[in-house]
Amino acid sequence: MRSAKNLLHPLLAVLAAFLAFAFLAAAPAAQAAPPKRVVALTPFAANTLAGLGVTPVGIGNTLGGDKRFASNLRTAKRLTLSHPNGPNMEELAVLNPQLVFSSPTWAKGAKTMRDLDIKVVNADPANVADAYATTKMIGAKVGKPDGGKLLAARLKRQVNSAAKGIRKRPRTLVVLGVGRTPFVLLPNSWGGSIVQKAGARLITGGVKPNRSGFVRISDEKILTSNPDVIIAIPHGNADDMSDIAKFLRTNPAWKDSKAVKSNRLYVSGDNSLLQAGTDVAKVIRNVRAKYLDND
Amino acid sequence: MIVRRTAVLFVVVVAVVAGIVASLALGAVDIPLSTVIDALTGKADPGPLRQIVLDLRLPRTVEAIAVGAGLGVAGALLQGALANPLASPDVIGVTGGAGFGAVLILIVFPGSVALLPVGALFFGLLAAGLVFAIAWAGPNAGGTGRLILAGIAIAALFGAGMTSIMVAYPDRVQSALFFIAGGLTSDGWADLKVVWPYFAVGFVLAIGLTRPLDRLALGDDVAASLGARPRLIRLIAGVAAALLAAAAASLAGLLGFLGLVVPHAVRLASGTSSHTYVMPVSALGGSALLLAGDTLARTVRAPIELPVGPFMVVIGVPLFLFLLRRAV
Repeated sequence: MRSAKNLLHPLLAVLAAFLAFAFLAAAPAAQAAPPKRVVALTPFAANTLAGLGVTPVGIGNTLGGDKRFASNLRTAKRLTLSHPNGPNMEELAVLNPQLVFSSPTWAKGAKTMRDLDIKVVNADPANVADAYATTKMIGAKVGKPDGGKLLAARLKRQVNSAAKGIRKRPRTLVVLGVGRTPFVLLPNSWGGSIVQKAGARLITGGVKPNRSGFVRISDEKILTSNPDVIIAIPHGNADDMSDIAKFLRTNPAWKDSKAVKSNRLYVSGDNSLLQAGTDVAKVIRNVRAKYLDND
Repeated sequence: MIVRRTAVLFVVVVAVVAGIVASLALGAVDIPLSTVIDALTGKADPGPLRQIVLDLRLPRTVEAIAVGAGLGVAGALLQGALANPLASPDVIGVTGGAGFGAVLILIVFPGSVALLPVGALFFGLLAAGLVFAIAWAGPNAGGTGRLILAGIAIAALFGAGMTSIMVAYPDRVQSALFFIAGGLTSDGWADLKVVWPYFAVGFVLAIGLTRPLDRLALGDDVAASLGARPRLIRLIAGVAAALLAAAAASLAGLLGFLGLVVPHAVRLASGTSSHTYVMPVSALGGSALLLAGDTLARTVRAPIELPVGPFMVVIGVPLFLFLLRRAV
């Protein structure tokens, strides 16, 4: 009996020490303050932060993306992005961010950022379905999980509303790039998922979604698919678009398609089908009205 | 020796014929051989299958033949004229120049994309022109070493220009990747119509150079004593190679490997270095290799199309190493 009592005391002491250690370890996590200095390299993250009432200390300036920034971000410090790192690391370091919302495009730069003790999280949704989860994740990371959930729910409602009342489902080819080797957008890409939400049946030649979201498919498949609508997303200035459209109409695989014959080959001059944004519903409505005759 | 040469010629001709048949018969869409033949003979009914054969596969097959032959001959010309086994269209700056021209159009001036073959051709020939101008000026004008060094410098210059454009427009690089990796496209006869005169002049010059290059192979002094003009031969060979390589690059992107390897493979397999033999057989060999590479690129992961450059390397390198090992 005596020996059992002798054992009990050390056991209690160990348990008390363990509980004290666990409490101390858990305490900072529970009290961890959300990061105050946040940089958003993607327009989606920047606009989501604006929607959550968080003002980032810096935002990435992607091509064409600045036109789609929320009005309260206009004064935020712009970071010019370039391959392969994304922002200039010195410019970024000066902002002293605790958290950077980045994109897989800047994976190389993310490593350097981590070396600078900056937390880096990818926040560039690959497609529309991914946008809801990314919104919630951004909210959670900046200490506004409920705000994130509300924003995601609102986004979903807006998308569902924009995709309502679809009457036609035209077979649609969405291509990226310039020249004779355009790449076809797959359903898991940003543009592909938007066009699908707008009512299109995407022509992909039966290719399964891959990581990049686009692929070069045979012109033979395109010719036999005979698309009703072709949406080309080239790069270039607004002045170039009519010349590019003229060139694309001469493609031997497309020239006799329903799309070209019925004058439904469109050239998208902005980046709304390439760069994820929070204006998903607006883009879906735009695609329905301008390209799919589905409003 | 004659038996060996004849056997090599026979194998290469068979490979070209097989390559043409495969290129016309195989693709992302299954078309029965009888329909392919009907389309080619004008008996097929109008429709997508006929259109695929006549508008997509046939021009692409002809392009593969022209580009493969052009690069094979360009390599044979340069290796003979410069007496250097490493000579290829890259050495006279054509590949770098054509790459710069194409990237400039595709990335900086996408609105003028219809001018892509013209841009590649122009800058390919410009690069070669600069190389010749540098090599034929000053002391030891027209010397082999001077030509090769000028070629390396100009190729580096245009290569740096191409890289700078790609760095300046990172979001547009995708459009240029296929050209850089090398590959044929199904763009009908339009591009061939632009570049065929350059191929024609290049091939005609090459035919006229077969015997002079054989004399040059004996060394400049011996060739001169036989009445040849080594520097003039070298210049004409360079011009012919530049025309062929620039025309090839404007159609199929950067496929310099073909011009380097095919003439060597022909020499190793046949056991002769006579240009009367090496030049035409390199043309056939280049065509066969490109037809095979392009057909694989179109069908291996159909309907996805892959760049042809890596496939040519996959086919060409083992064959080349096998011949090299046997020769050593």
